Amino acid sequence: MKRREFLKLSATMAGAAVTIYMPSAWRPAKAAAKWKVGFSQCTTLEPWRVQFNKDIQAEAKKYPCENLIVQQVNVLLVSPKESAGLTGVVEKALDAKIPVIVLDRNVDTKRITQFIGGDNLAIGRAAGEYAVKLLGGAGKAQGNVVEIWGGMGTQPAHDRHDGFHAFTDKEPGIKYLLNNQSGDWKQDQAYNIMTTALRNNEKIDLIYGHNDPMAYGAYLAAKDAGRDKDIKFILGIDGLPDEGVTWVSKGQLTATFLYATPGAEGLRQAVKLLRGEKLEPVITLPTMLITKDNASDILKKNGLL
Amino acid sequence: MKVLRAVSRTKLYWGLLLICLIGALASPHSSSGNNIFLSYGNLTDVLRQVSITGLVATGMTMVILLGGIDLSVGSVMGFSTIICAMLLTKSGWTAASIMGVPAAVAVSFMAVAFLARFVFSGLASGHDETAGRRREIALGRWRGMWIPILLGLAAAVAVAWFTTNQVPTKFGVLGVLLVAPCVALVLGAVNGVLIVAGRLQPFIATLAMMVGALGIARLTAGQDNAVVAVYTGTNATETFEVLRSMLWGVVPMPSVFFLAAIILFGAILRFTAFGRYAYAIGGNIEAAKLSGIKVVQVQLTAYLLSGLLAGIAGVLFVAQYRQGKPDAGAGLELDAIAAVVIGGTSLMGGRGSLAGTFVGVLIFGLLSDILQLQNIDSNVQLVMKGLIIVCTVLVQEQNLGQLVARWRFARRTKTSAEAETAEPTRPPSAAKAQFAREHLDEAS
Repeated sequence: MKRREFLKLSATMAGAAVTIYMPSAWRPAKAAAKWKVGFSQCTTLEPWRVQFNKDIQAEAKKYPCENLIVQQVNVLLVSPKESAGLTGVVEKALDAKIPVIVLDRNVDTKRITQFIGGDNLAIGRAAGEYAVKLLGGAGKAQGNVVEIWGGMGTQPAHDRHDGFHAFTDKEPGIKYLLNNQSGDWKQDQAYNIMTTALRNNEKIDLIYGHNDPMAYGAYLAAKDAGRDKDIKFILGIDGLPDEGVTWVSKGQLTATFLYATPGAEGLRQAVKLLRGEKLEPVITLPTMLITKDNASDILKKNGLL
Repeated sequence: MKVLRAVSRTKLYWGLLLICLIGALASPHSSSGNNIFLSYGNLTDVLRQVSITGLVATGMTMVILLGGIDLSVGSVMGFSTIICAMLLTKSGWTAASIMGVPAAVAVSFMAVAFLARFVFSGLASGHDETAGRRREIALGRWRGMWIPILLGLAAAVAVAWFTTNQVPTKFGVLGVLLVAPCVALVLGAVNGVLIVAGRLQPFIATLAMMVGALGIARLTAGQDNAVVAVYTGTNATETFEVLRSMLWGVVPMPSVFFLAAIILFGAILRFTAFGRYAYAIGGNIEAAKLSGIKVVQVQLTAYLLSGLLAGIAGVLFVAQYRQGKPDAGAGLELDAIAAVVIGGTSLMGGRGSLAGTFVGVLIFGLLSDILQLQNIDSNVQLVMKGLIIVCTVLVQEQNLGQLVARWRFARRTKTSAEAETAEPTRPPSAAKAQFAREHLDEAS
């Protein structure tokens, strides 16, 4: 009884953001719902999170799963907004012997069953390496770079910055025009930063946005100023089909790097666990370079072309 | 003293000038040697960037003058961006058009009907021989009720015809400029009714709307859309680009809306009875009630207009940034309040002006432009903005004349204490009182 009560409490707390939306959108599997998988999403305001939800729902249709987060669950999938916030709840669930799989951003405890997420540092490095290649190759890269930060208080922004600079800092020819300017992951703020940057700098070669909407916002600012042709390369991160990939296929962004949502993989791993298999402690989702060459394939696969 | 008083009264403008001066001196120069800060392009960029906050701050000023506050403007603006973006990109009866068309019809009916009545009563009062009679009685049945209702119905039918015609295809510029602000106005009206009829604290009522409108916006956009992207020329009409173009190549279109709102509502606040009532209510609501001011009407109107302006800001947001999203206005209410406060409007109500708000918005915009041109770290920028709010309000709250009077008075009492032997008959406290009478009068 006590355990049931606790679960009710912790799961409602953790899942507050989605409880309203999920039950209607996620129809319980028809006949034999064998497992109950609790899923907590931190916000549905960002397009990447929406894609995340779509992925996990699509995957859930393949298994006899039921999403009932206010009742006793067999396994809990949690996606926190920031690391520290959900640690307590996750620990309580673990104390109650419920396996917890943490998705995308980790919590501050080593005891979790599994962590699945992309490696922002690796993605930043991939972007940095590609940027150096675009600007003339290792050792001879030349160019003025505008970097637009994501939210300053978030770990992914720092990782995407550090990874990028691991490559570009080695190039003496690369000059950084902006000093830690944060667009807070938002298209409109990146637009305003870029508007001023364009006034301030006559030659901009490459824009690196910590996500696609910001890179696109910067592109729009350049276009409105009539200078989109002068800027040779625009790189983004995330690679959502209806955002980054679309913009890449239109030639508005040069390339984007996939930051895969752990939705589908998370559910696959949960099912594996429920079938009694053992899980690896960490699964890192690989990134992928998306350019004009493979963009249309991805769009076709997602039914957008 | 006269000069000092003049300076003290206009210190906000001197502050603006000072910021411009700092900007010009610190500005980087382009390769051709031009001052970037002072370049026409940069200044219009600033004007463009402050327009959205500025429109919202205009409505906020009226609400704050009444002693209220409107926390919901950010969410209402977000809702408006969603309505606008969906109307532009989706044809047929979507959630946006199902809400938008009736809202526009209802609002146009009410607006035209009330306006007609207002005009009639204005005309009638000009001929009114027996001053002091209530206008409702003076107007009579036809001009008081039937003609306004008929005119309102005519307007409603016209709007209904205009909007439903656009539903099967997608909405055009005029369509969204009509519908999205009307929907926002309805939310503003809900705020007003909650505050006026429900006797809720403005803080509570608009806080509830702030949370609620965000939810409504997300429900409207649908589970699968965190962002509604607008690609003019592809999935939306190309004429929509008008709203971010430069008008005659001189003024950015968003600023035209902002300047028009400032001038219109500035004139209303300054020269009309409504404006006088607003100040009276903000100054002392009980006294205003007792002197026969229709407090309820004025309050309702203020919240309604605040919603309307947030709605227009939403349309401009979509035009500028090519997307509608529920959280488009996150934090906007605080920016607007900051601009209003910098402009010298008292949060207690009854004191302030739209001219001040205009300058406040500009100070904020210019400051962030200067910091951006100086390429200052985003985190430092936040600190600087906080400092500016504190400093300007500190300076605003001090009356320079009084400060000088106090200083001179301190010096005088000191010298008079030294000269006490010469003038022993006059106790210092009397001298103090005498001095204060002479000088504080002059200062205020």
